[in-house]
Amino acid sequence: MSSQHLSDEAVAAFADGVLSGHARDRAVRHVNACAECREAVRVQREAAWALRSAERPQLPGDLLDRLRTVPMTTPITTLPTAVAPDGTTMLSTVAPVAALVPDQPRRSHRGRPYITTAAIVALAGALAAGSVAHHSSSPQPGTGRVIGHTTPRSGPEPAMVNQVGLLWRVAQP
Amino acid sequence: MTAVESPTWVPPTWDQVVREHADRVYRLAYRLSGNRADAEDLTQETFVRVFRSLAQYEPGTFEGWLHRITTNLFLDMVRRRQRIRFDALPEDAGDRLAGTDPGPEQAYHEMHLDPEIEAALDALPPDFRVAVVLCDLEQLSYEEIAATLGIKVGTVRSRIHRGRVMLREALAHRAPGVRPVEPGITTEAIAG
Repeated sequence: MSSQHLSDEAVAAFADGVLSGHARDRAVRHVNACAECREAVRVQREAAWALRSAERPQLPGDLLDRLRTVPMTTPITTLPTAVAPDGTTMLSTVAPVAALVPDQPRRSHRGRPYITTAAIVALAGALAAGSVAHHSSSPQPGTGRVIGHTTPRSGPEPAMVNQVGLLWRVAQP
Repeated sequence: MTAVESPTWVPPTWDQVVREHADRVYRLAYRLSGNRADAEDLTQETFVRVFRSLAQYEPGTFEGWLHRITTNLFLDMVRRRQRIRFDALPEDAGDRLAGTDPGPEQAYHEMHLDPEIEAALDALPPDFRVAVVLCDLEQLSYEEIAATLGIKVGTVRSRIHRGRVMLREALAHRAPGVRPVEPGITTEAIAG
């Protein structure tokens, strides 16, 4: 054997056709000359093909219905909420508006001046509630600029508001 | 101008989020867990997490975020069950564990898509299964898988390699007929 056998990692990458340049040239040369590595690549491909040929599971209709009602069935106590000094109830609705915005560069704490007072209250509540599954150590007000574009509620609101459509209500006219 | 800077940008409704992503999440959950009951639970829990932690969502692809949540929930579930299995079980544990199994009626509705493949996947160590499912069924790139799992690309490759080897062995043993038509290793097949 003129060249060294492919590593396991290279075998997988070669089988998936993601090697390029020199690495790919070397792999092609070696695989054509080495039955052992050729077999290893074949095994990778056969396994991949077996999986890819498997039927796609279909989403059950009743599950879809249940997912739609998640905002109604998820207890509000687990949602980050806070009450502003003027009695305004801030729900997690403020931040999520920002949350779905794609590809906004994250800001540091210095971004705070862009955040409305109410939004800070809401975020403080979000952190205090401690209900967040993936608590990140990165600065939470990082999405502040985005939040600054939303319009926090101005009038008093009962704490247990209608939970349907809760998510985006704040940003809607 | 980004969407958010546009005054006309309207954030998606929850219904739109669900309709757009439920299929993908369920498919991944099913392929990771290998059965409908767990897939439904994982999917439901994923969307509950999404709903609760939208505020923590860091800008990036929403799909990537969903993959991460679903995958982590699956791994949590597996580890929890392993702990239950390995811990000293109280005498009534058998009864309580039996209660989590699908009953005959539910089992009747369990449509295992491809029993051989499901069984082979199920036999893989969870970390390998996740890597293989994300690669071969969800068609994520190595880099995307690495980001999803928080591991190095090299680790992704080696898990995929090992997982596929085990998968291939399991499939060959269970059903030699599942061998796909193999075009053969040629440089042409690899080009592209």
